[in-house]
Parts: sequence; C-alpha cells; structure tokens
Amino acid sequence: MSDGSVAHRQTGDIGNVATPEDLRLFAGVRARELDAFEALYRLYHPRLARFLLNLLRRPQMVEEVLNDTLLVVWERSDTFRGASKLSTWIFAIAYRKAMKALRRLDEPVEDRDAEMRPSDGDAPDAPLGRHRTQEALLAALAKLSPDHRTVVDLTYFHEMGYREIAAIMDCPVDTVKTRMFHARRHLRRLMDGELADWL
Amino acid sequence: MARILPFTTDPHRETRDLMPWLITGRLEPEEQARVEAHLAACEECSRELAGERALAGEVAELPIATGIGWAAMRDRLDTAARQAAFVPLSPPARRRLTVRKIGTMLAAQAALLAAAVTITLRVEAPTAPYHALGSAPAVMGGNAIVIFRPDARESDISRLLKANDARLVDGPTAANAYVLHLPAAGRTQALDRLRGDAAVVLAEPLEAAALR
Repeated sequence: MSDGSVAHRQTGDIGNVATPEDLRLFAGVRARELDAFEALYRLYHPRLARFLLNLLRRPQMVEEVLNDTLLVVWERSDTFRGASKLSTWIFAIAYRKAMKALRRLDEPVEDRDAEMRPSDGDAPDAPLGRHRTQEALLAALAKLSPDHRTVVDLTYFHEMGYREIAAIMDCPVDTVKTRMFHARRHLRRLMDGELADWL
Repeated sequence: MARILPFTTDPHRETRDLMPWLITGRLEPEEQARVEAHLAACEECSRELAGERALAGEVAELPIATGIGWAAMRDRLDTAARQAAFVPLSPPARRRLTVRKIGTMLAAQAALLAAAVTITLRVEAPTAPYHALGSAPAVMGGNAIVIFRPDARESDISRLLKANDARLVDGPTAANAYVLHLPAAGRTQALDRLRGDAAVVLAEPLEAAALR
C-alpha cells in the first residue's frame, strides 16, 4: 500500500492542490475557531459518512471512525500545508482510520488473488425488477474487497479523479485503475441479471 | 502479451481502464481526446461504455446515509474538553464515552475553553452586588458556574434551576456559561445533581476569590 507514495506524487496534479476556498475554510480551523470547524464538519460530514459506510459496512463503526477522522483534522490542522486538495487530505485520514478499524476486526483487508479466481457469485435466473436493482447493487458491492469498494465509490459517487484516489489510498495510479477495472468487472458479473434493465 | 507492453501503447486497454473517469469528466484533455478517438472506432468499447454509464449512475444514486451529526461531534468535543480541563468530575451516567485517548488530543481545546471561562468570568463577573430590576435590595453574588449542552431546551434549564433552588446571576458569557447562585448550605449536593443531568456539560463551584 505504501509502494506508490512516490509514484503517485510524480504524476500530474491538475486540480490536485488546495483551492482558495479550501484555504479560506481551513484558516479558521487552524485558528481553533469552533465555528469554522463546524462549517467544515457540516461540509464534509455527509461525504465522509457515505464514504465510510460504503467502506466499512458497519454504521456503529462509521460514527467512530468519522468522528476520529474529524478530530484528527481539528487536532492536526497544522499539518495540512495545502499541497493537496483539502478533500484529499481529509479523505486520506478517513481511509487510514477506516483500514485500521477493519484490521482491528481481524478481517481480510484485501484479497490480492481475488481477480484470479472464478466468481462464486450466483447469476440470477431472471432479471430483477428495477426497484430491486439498488438492493442487488448494494449486495454486489458488499462482496467486493474494501479497497475495490472504495475506488468505486470515490470514482462514481465522490467523482474524484484517479490521481486524487491514489493520493487518498497511498498507492500508484495504475493500482487505482486496476482496482477499478476489476471492481467493475466483478460488479457487472454479479449484477448480470440487472444489466438488461439498465440498458 | 499485454503485460509487457507499456500501458499507454494499447488504446483499447487505456480506454477500458479510463472509462470511469471519462464518464465523470475527470480525465485530462489529452487523455480524453485519446479515449474518445478510440471509442469512435471501437464498437466493443462503445458498448462497454454504455453499460459502464449505467453502473456509474446506479452507484451514485445508492441510498447510503447515516444518522450521525454535528450534535454528537460537539458532544464529543465538550466531553473531551470537560474531561481534560476539569478533573475530577462525575461523568453523567448516561453519556456514552465514545472517544478513546481523547484527553490529550483535545488538551488545547480544553485549555481554550478553560481560558475562555476564566477570562469571561474576570471580565463579566459583577464587582458589586447584583441588583435585579424591580426587586429593591436583591443582593446576590454568583457561587457556581454552569454550562448547559448547546441543545438544552429552555424548559430543561428552568427545571434545573427550580429543582436546585438556583438563581441566575449572569450569563450567558462568551463561553456560554451561566453564573448561578445556589443556596450555600446545599451547594455541593446541588452541583452534583447538576453534573448528573444530561443537559449539563459543566457545573463547578465559584469562589469569591475567583471573581477578583
């Protein structure tokens, strides 16, 4: 996971530095203004909650990790130098906290050989109704490794570029692309019955 | 074969891998141009793109939400601040401590709060006996300081004041603290009761010396 710390920093960084808005918001946090922190909290809370719930799948754990993350933001605000977007910095903290929490559960974090094995997912006999598609997609996402889920969610919900995702997950950009490719392949295979409804 | 070729020399694979970020508009212009050029010529990739767009839309619309919010976070900050700044305090039994190792993490915040309370008291504490409007010789100084939870209702505050025979002397200060007068005889017990209430963040005695 740390092997890409150099690689991803060497890539282009268009749009990957702190915006003036980021810096303005964060100045108050750094000055220990509770109002500024509340504004930042309200801005990031929904995104982080979604990100962490998708990654962790345990609401109780989400609350703890989310608040731990924002406490680090509050407490270690001096370490944000604006070299990345504020969202990258905050999501990277959340990701590290979440992976640490998962490791505490002693659950496998990533099955690196998963792509090499045949799928054990059962393709439904008939396409499900559109109203059940989301349920099926959630179930399919749950079968992915946390890393694969994270890349899918950061890409499609948070609409982040692969460079920002690489920075958050501290891995090479090619790893992000590969994870995304395998995750998409798994999802589409698991969602085989629903695909017809989508198209 | 694909393994030994540099990634960007295979437009088919590049398109396949970059498709998600084409959909979300997060490719750089030259990447986008290459991918779109390939898509125009490759029916297989075009078909895959349609399926991928559908997947992207579904993921983005997944109903994933939690019921946690700022009140809980603020509670953690307050709890941590109180723990670090004013020990020992009897923690309200029903308030769950979800923070581990938080005392040191929020020491600065705690110090800030403590300083704010102290400064506010020094600035705003009455230097002469407090005279309430309409009651001629009301002479009553504060002898306790209380901070209610930010979401405490007026009815909670009123109930607590009545139950403890307390009078509001001053506040809210800049730190949202209230100076109360509690009957001297039962002040310690009254403070314990206040601390034990879920609507109270902090309840501490206030000595006359502290006001000067």
